[in-house]
Amino acid sequence: MKPDAAILSGDIPEALIEPALTVGVVTPGSLDDQVLAFPETRPPKQWYIGLAVTLTALIIGVGCIGYVFVTGIGAWGNTSPVFWAFDIINFVFWVGIGHAGTLISAILFLFRKRWRNAIARFAEAMTIFAVICAVIFPLIHIGRPWLAYWLFPYPNQRALWTNFRSPLLWDVFAVNTYFSVSAMFWYLGLIPDIASMRDRATGKVRKVIYTVLAMGWRGAASHWQHYEKAYLLLAGLATGLVLSVHSVVSFDFATSVVPGWHMTIFPPYFVAGAIFAGFAMVVMVLVVVRETMQLKNLITMRHLDVMNKVILAMSCLMGYSYMMEGFTAWYSMNEYLHHSFMNIISGTYGWAGWVTISCNIFIPQILWFKKARASYFWMILVAVGVTIGMWFERFVIIVVSLHQDYLPSAWRIYKPTMIDFGVLLGTFGIFFTLVLLFARVLPVIATTEVKAILPGAQPSHHGDDHHV
Amino acid sequence: MSETSYSVLGVFDTPDALMQAIPKVRASKLGTVEAYTPYAIHGIEEALGLRRSPLGGMVLVMGILGAITAFGFQYWISAIDYPIITGGKSAGSWEAFIPIMFEVTVLFATFTAGLGMLFLLNKLPFFGHPVLSSKSIKGITRDRYVVALEAESEAFDSAAAAQVLRAAGAIEVEVLPAPDRSPFLTSDYILRTLGGIFTACVVAGLAMYFATKWFPVLAPMKYIQDQPRLDAQKASSFFKDGHGMQQPVAGTVARGYLPTATGTQEEAASLVNPLPRTPEVFALGKKVFTNRCEVCHGALANGVGSLTAAYGAKPANLQAQQFLDYPDGKIYWAIVNGKNAMPSHAPYLSERERWAVVDYVRALQRAQNAKDEDLKVATR
Repeated sequence: MKPDAAILSGDIPEALIEPALTVGVVTPGSLDDQVLAFPETRPPKQWYIGLAVTLTALIIGVGCIGYVFVTGIGAWGNTSPVFWAFDIINFVFWVGIGHAGTLISAILFLFRKRWRNAIARFAEAMTIFAVICAVIFPLIHIGRPWLAYWLFPYPNQRALWTNFRSPLLWDVFAVNTYFSVSAMFWYLGLIPDIASMRDRATGKVRKVIYTVLAMGWRGAASHWQHYEKAYLLLAGLATGLVLSVHSVVSFDFATSVVPGWHMTIFPPYFVAGAIFAGFAMVVMVLVVVRETMQLKNLITMRHLDVMNKVILAMSCLMGYSYMMEGFTAWYSMNEYLHHSFMNIISGTYGWAGWVTISCNIFIPQILWFKKARASYFWMILVAVGVTIGMWFERFVIIVVSLHQDYLPSAWRIYKPTMIDFGVLLGTFGIFFTLVLLFARVLPVIATTEVKAILPGAQPSHHGDDHHV
Repeated sequence: MSETSYSVLGVFDTPDALMQAIPKVRASKLGTVEAYTPYAIHGIEEALGLRRSPLGGMVLVMGILGAITAFGFQYWISAIDYPIITGGKSAGSWEAFIPIMFEVTVLFATFTAGLGMLFLLNKLPFFGHPVLSSKSIKGITRDRYVVALEAESEAFDSAAAAQVLRAAGAIEVEVLPAPDRSPFLTSDYILRTLGGIFTACVVAGLAMYFATKWFPVLAPMKYIQDQPRLDAQKASSFFKDGHGMQQPVAGTVARGYLPTATGTQEEAASLVNPLPRTPEVFALGKKVFTNRCEVCHGALANGVGSLTAAYGAKPANLQAQQFLDYPDGKIYWAIVNGKNAMPSHAPYLSERERWAVVDYVRALQRAQNAKDEDLKVATR
């Protein structure tokens, strides 16, 4: 039972009182009118401009991927010894972006962080779109994408099976599970909201689509009981999953013997980096969403403040990881590891190492200041910086480690081609196109979940401290 | 009330009013009490007397099943059906199976939680429920809280139920008619759906069939065939003589193909058997002799093999004096080049195997013409 705030208000310092989750008067009805109205209105001009930009990027990317299919992956800069380059960098980058959504929807749910309710939907959607972007890369990386089904263990005429001791196969399972579970989580959360949209819908086509998608949800208390239980279970399962997925991705590197990859710190280091990059992307998108969709009363500055704090904490974790890498290189007295680490800060690609360190460690430190956490300028600067920095971190891990390994006669400088950049641009196009479409056809805020935490939403004798 | 009704809905505008009304409505014992709310109201399951959701147990069982399935699948493949040694681990070492076991556990558990909740426990999708076509549904999914008294029998008195709900503070009461007995999911509907799926499958299958039949080598698939490589026996403009396959450079010998018996049989007489006379060499020679020679020359190398009668030609009796006097090199030459009706065995036998056969033939000859000293050697 929550102590009555009125009695204790004199004793609690102002800084410790939890601020309201929404700004101004928000009722369940006004929430629906505000959030669920987007699909019912014509999109503004900015939306079309945005869509034109993202679609252009998408088309460029699809064209580049088509070119790669026709000519082969020789169109990329990958060459011995750097066999993994942009394709794997982008894969790790996008899988990482996805992690913020699951963290917000699952881990913060388990921690009963109720502020997550307003941003969980968007973050989950971004998870799914990011994983879609990520999955493209292994498919085109294998060179013959029409044989991609060989990745799966299925009985076949060749009487061959996959190798279950390969982390690459673990990846296949991890990423597929991650996508399925995220999609399930997202859709379950959407069902009651879609039911609301169904009952608001006026157009016949819209009504039919939402009716089918809502599966006949009718808000019965007996259904809510199972629903809540399912949501809790999914959150628990997704929590384990989100920690495992990027760990498995890191195994691709950590279980090899390449100097700079073969390190036990990789799984936690990758997970922290993934959450870091994902939160930066979520902050970037949320700022745009709250400004252009007039959602300032629901996605408040407090949300952004908390998100920025998470980014700061992750930045410090990343700093620790980088220092640990240096320490390991020094303390191991392994000349190969030492050389590999020195390459990061002073080799041919030293600039990439310093871009990584600056963007991921130095710039986010500005978020120690409350004013910076409340300023669009600084938070966008940090978010863009982190996105760039995290991309370069994967560049450093993959390209810098590979281009000089044990055999100096095999060393070579890697240079990406325009096709490499085109494919990368294309995935940004795919991601933001999906984000824009999502913002127009589905509820961008989990109205059902926000309704449940509005003042007076729960019976007064029951308290609302242990709610969703 | 002669008309049978399904249920009576009482609409409330706050969760507090709903929670206060539920015990009163339940006390009337007119029918089953259900509530419809825009979001999950906490404590409502106790107020309505709902049983605990069995979902947790289902998920646990399916999660464990997922782990067992993944382990069994990987173990059977990696240790039994297709054992490959990777990194020096034994084929059945289970540690590497853990990541996939974890993923499959989560996958099974998640789908049980999600689909079990929707399909098994909540019996969705169900589009024919009367509440969905009620006037109150717009409020239910928005900001109204509804208590429903649902008929348990034909004797349900909807007027009395409405009275109870009004007395409990409902701001509106709606009587729902008995559900239309031809709900959305009739057998006709199911048949049409299955028919639609079947038709779609047939159309997709035919499309795939004709696509691959008419356009078997589309650009990306074809590209792999157009590599700058030479097929055997094909011409090539790269070389002056236009042949793709080239003769070895004059005077060179490929590794492992030393020309040890190229000349005549007489010239080969000087070749010396390079193999030591060890039990392994004799075992190899015996094996090769059994496989390649015995069928004509016979098990004792006396020219009486199982094929001799059918074959017509007369294989050499290697026990004859002529062959007892042969040096090793001449027997070797015959194996490599063939003699009379005997074909060359060079394509099937390695250098070592040929010489091992020579040794074995020597042993057979000595065994068939054994002297007293040989007996002493044998019994020593």
